[in-house]
Amino acid sequence: MKGKDIDTKLEYSSRMSLVSDFLKGSRHYLFLTVVFVCLLVGFELVNPKAIGYTVDLIIGNEEQLPGFIKSFIEWMGGREYCLNNLYIFALIIIGIALIGAVCRYMFKLMNTKSAETLGKTMKDTLFDHIIHLPFSWHDQNQTGDIIQRCTTDVDMIRDFIANQMTQVFRMVLVISMSLVFMCRINFVLSVAAFLFIPIVVGYSLFFHGAIGKSFMLADTEEGNLSAIAQENLTGVRVVRAFGKERYEKDRFENKNAEYTKLWVRTMRLLTQFWTINDLIGGIEIMTVVTLGAYLTVKGTISAGDYVAFLSFNGMMIWPTRELGRVVSEMSKAGISIDRLLYIMNSKIEEDSENAVEFPGNGDIEFKNVTFSYDGASVLQDVSWKFKKGETIGILGGTGSGKTTAMMLLDMFYELGDDNGRITINGVDISNIKKSSLRQNIGMVMQEPYLFSGTLEDNIKIAADDVDHKMVMDASRISSLDNAIEKFTQGYDTYVGERGVTLSGGQKQRTAIAQMLVRKPSIMIFDDSLSAVDAVTDGKIRKALNESIEEDRKNNNNDTTVILISHRITTLMNADRIFVLDDGKVIESGNHDELVSQDGMYSKIYKLQVLAGEGGLDEE
Amino acid sequence: MKNKSSFLGFGTLWPYLKKYKLMFIRMIIMGMMVSSVDAIYPLFNRYAIDHFIAYKTLDTLPMFIALFVVFALAQAVVNYFNVLDCSSIELYINRDLRNNAFEHLQDVSLSYYNQNSVGYIHARVMSDTGKIGQMASWRLMDIIWFGSNILFSMIVMLIVNWKLAIWVILIVPMAALSISYFQKKLLILNRDIREQNSKITSNINEGITGVKSIKSLVIEDKMNRHFRDDTVSMYRKSLRAAHFDAMFNSTVAMLTSIALGLVIWKGGALSAEHMIEIGTLSIFMSYAMGMLFPIQTVVSSISQIVAIRVNIERYVNLLNVEGEVRDSEEVIKKYGTSFEPKYENFEKLNGDVEFENVSFQYPDGDELVLENFNLKVPKGCNVAIVGETGAGKSTLVNLVCRFFEPTKGRVLIDGEDIKARSLKWLHSNIGYVLQTPFLFSGTVRDNLRYGKEDISDEKIMESLSMIGADSIVNKLKDGLDSNVGESGDMLSTGEKQLLSIARALLADPKILILDEATASIDTVTEKIIQNAVSKLIKGRTSFVIAHRLSTIVNSDVILVVNEGKIVEQGNHKSLMKARGEYYNLYTRQYEELLIDSRKEE
Repeated sequence: MKGKDIDTKLEYSSRMSLVSDFLKGSRHYLFLTVVFVCLLVGFELVNPKAIGYTVDLIIGNEEQLPGFIKSFIEWMGGREYCLNNLYIFALIIIGIALIGAVCRYMFKLMNTKSAETLGKTMKDTLFDHIIHLPFSWHDQNQTGDIIQRCTTDVDMIRDFIANQMTQVFRMVLVISMSLVFMCRINFVLSVAAFLFIPIVVGYSLFFHGAIGKSFMLADTEEGNLSAIAQENLTGVRVVRAFGKERYEKDRFENKNAEYTKLWVRTMRLLTQFWTINDLIGGIEIMTVVTLGAYLTVKGTISAGDYVAFLSFNGMMIWPTRELGRVVSEMSKAGISIDRLLYIMNSKIEEDSENAVEFPGNGDIEFKNVTFSYDGASVLQDVSWKFKKGETIGILGGTGSGKTTAMMLLDMFYELGDDNGRITINGVDISNIKKSSLRQNIGMVMQEPYLFSGTLEDNIKIAADDVDHKMVMDASRISSLDNAIEKFTQGYDTYVGERGVTLSGGQKQRTAIAQMLVRKPSIMIFDDSLSAVDAVTDGKIRKALNESIEEDRKNNNNDTTVILISHRITTLMNADRIFVLDDGKVIESGNHDELVSQDGMYSKIYKLQVLAGEGGLDEE
Repeated sequence: MKNKSSFLGFGTLWPYLKKYKLMFIRMIIMGMMVSSVDAIYPLFNRYAIDHFIAYKTLDTLPMFIALFVVFALAQAVVNYFNVLDCSSIELYINRDLRNNAFEHLQDVSLSYYNQNSVGYIHARVMSDTGKIGQMASWRLMDIIWFGSNILFSMIVMLIVNWKLAIWVILIVPMAALSISYFQKKLLILNRDIREQNSKITSNINEGITGVKSIKSLVIEDKMNRHFRDDTVSMYRKSLRAAHFDAMFNSTVAMLTSIALGLVIWKGGALSAEHMIEIGTLSIFMSYAMGMLFPIQTVVSSISQIVAIRVNIERYVNLLNVEGEVRDSEEVIKKYGTSFEPKYENFEKLNGDVEFENVSFQYPDGDELVLENFNLKVPKGCNVAIVGETGAGKSTLVNLVCRFFEPTKGRVLIDGEDIKARSLKWLHSNIGYVLQTPFLFSGTVRDNLRYGKEDISDEKIMESLSMIGADSIVNKLKDGLDSNVGESGDMLSTGEKQLLSIARALLADPKILILDEATASIDTVTEKIIQNAVSKLIKGRTSFVIAHRLSTIVNSDVILVVNEGKIVEQGNHKSLMKARGEYYNLYTRQYEELLIDSRKEE
């Protein structure tokens, strides 16, 4: 097994170590985001200052201007000249804003780069990890849940690190920088402005904590309403057949009314919060305006400083109001990280130490194989030997263990130490590299999975160097060619989730073609002709035999074929047939031997093959 | 449908909105009040600067504070009610639209459900309605708030100093044009991103559901490469959108500064010549800085409202779907509607069913699936319909239930055309057991009483024990009061199956439709279900979409369906002899025989 493409640790001990792995590749973007935030905030704050100086110049408060501005005015040609050419100052202000705008652009771009790189790394890593997790893990976990973790939780973490953290950083920076500038203008006035910050942030933190429950309740109620609609639509035939339209309508309307009421209540709370928040903000502004006016009248600060102070104050208010909300949202991210930790800390499939390549085609032997799954015994002491080049038939019902036996051969499940051995060409398969083993075993399942792509893509999916002629040959052998001819786009017909829906039989035949182009030395047909009719079934097996014979003559390949089926006609020509029942081999031999044994095989044979000739009448 | 006079498609929705006419008017008036106060606020600053600071006096300060507080309080109060109105309108419209859609869906003919996936219909009921409600409230409010804010600000500026005002107002069309350019661009880019995102999600889905194939084909690396191609493309698309978004933001910021620069340049000169007071300069600066955000919001709200048209059309289309199967006027007069039936006029149903020269074509199909089909099913007779998955076995069932009506010919019950009676009459006499047993969330009792609400607990338990399902209820902690969970998910498939059989048994219908499950259930439960089914169909006219051999073999009539058409008809013996389609299907049913044969030993 080649292992994963993305190099990650085997086990994460903490949230931080996982996040730090995820941050590979996006750290420098995050750093640049922070740099540009700082620059942006800096220029945003310089602007009111520049405006303040200009105002002071206009109203003739030059004495109060700092020295370097005075010398600048002198250098320009004095106050008179400046006042006649105010456009210069306008241009300076626009110039500062332009630099600010560039910083803003860079900040946004870097922020997106860091967020998207992080999101991409997380998704790539998770996907890579998930497809390398053992099959038993997939058996135990629900698809919907894993998808949710790979999408919603990933987005949550991405937003937390790349958006919310930078947002909070920016807010704190704006607030504290404004305060610094404000303090330099006037300390007393700044304290008056500052007093409101803990009140607003505290109130908003408290409120969002408290309203969280109300939101959750409303969300749950929305889920319930949505579920009722879903149930009604899915069960529409039951509703109609029992004549319960009225009942359903009332049920939905009641739930809908409840849900609406809950939201109206939540909205009222939220509106109260915003109104009070607005009022606090209004009082803050009024305090600053009046106290500032008082100080200006007293001559403590200049009119220009007063104007600048008002701008700084205005800048600070928005982030102060938002801070509480953002912080209360951030707490959700921890849970998401834990949900990803669960996936990343699940162990992926690994080869045993010193695993070797596939030892070449040879006899397949099960020696006393016993296997249980989820506490239920599936195989009991199964021993058999398939000789190289043989065609083997296995007959067994649902739960007889036939599929599990094949899954063990392909190493989807691991055999415990005391549960017997499976060997190929004398080598214990647990010492063979999984990828090498699977490349040499072709398995067609009863319900094959088609990937989104064209039919040809699907046939070639595991063999890239295959040309179109080989695809056509394989389709001929698997009797897929007739079906393909019916599609207007032939081999380019799009299938899978977003494409044409194929019938069960067509899927099975596609999977057979897909296996044939790989030319594996062991072919397993796990009930994979169940959805094609008896005639096509026979046709496929005949073509397959011919191609294997040809291969034997021309290339000296001895392909071993394992057929698993319910249908006697599928199996009757096999070299040897094993009958599995309840995890045990109860009969074995060739068709004639088994028929004469008068066991389960012959009973089924009679039911299936002879029934049509009137044999059932005896029953 | 596309009514040009309708305002962005909202016109078609007016019947549902007009109920809130007064609320709308109040919302608009209050919204304008709130934003007019916002536009007045800078005047306070001006007064502070031009009066207190210019004259170095604090004489009117108490008055000033008092006025400020009055304005702030008045605005807060009006704003409070305004926002409440707005959210109420949103929620009430959502509620009404949802109720309407839901009620309509109870009446739409079933072909609609065959043509549209549950997910699609569900989205119309739950998500389109939400979006429409949001547009009719918040986005509309945004336009009113910020639109009138722009308007009032312009008026104040023009009154204070019209020469300077013109410079600021000049920015408005420039801003509106560039903002709407970026909005359009971003709308498209964001749609691209959403599509790419859903592609990635379906890739993840493929990686998980197809994991067995991936492993056995050893294509992990290939899947990884494909996945990364898509995440890279997602990255590129997001960056492109971010580029425009950042340009957009920076442009808005620049426009603000240009407006400010203009005020300083033109206004500063006026102020230096004492043509205007410094306070006036300051309020112009406030307006210049505060103008861009409202413009941005108004433009973006407008483009969102324009985009909602699609949702409105989809919603209205749903309401316009006419039930293809409806009761005629006379029938309604006699039997009432589905919601208000006149039970007193319902005739007793006996149970003879007859297909008379029936030809049928699905509304979305292109060929006849039944042609001059004739079949008499006397009372108590069992009909088994067999065939492969997707072969069209439900067609006959759909006709008996009158989910669809024959293209030609008639379906008769007790010798009477079913169209002459009401749907409600028919359905209250038909029992239906689904392949995937369907229970509704609620208690076991709720579910079992689904057909008849006045059934006693004794009767329920009696029926349960009759089919051997009483152990299910006895096992549950709260007995009949136990909750079955969403869609009955707290119970196993076998248990759900048994309860749905019990539900049909309690409804005691004369005609029974049964869609047998193919899902594998453990042998013991399977045996119980088989028993239950045979008890249920006994003595009733039944149509069974059958998978179980015992059901099929013992049926009076077997119909074999392939590619939508009935290809064979007869009983077990005659069909086995024919060695045709039925024989083929039958030989595949070996599994059950294996179970049976093991039992015999």
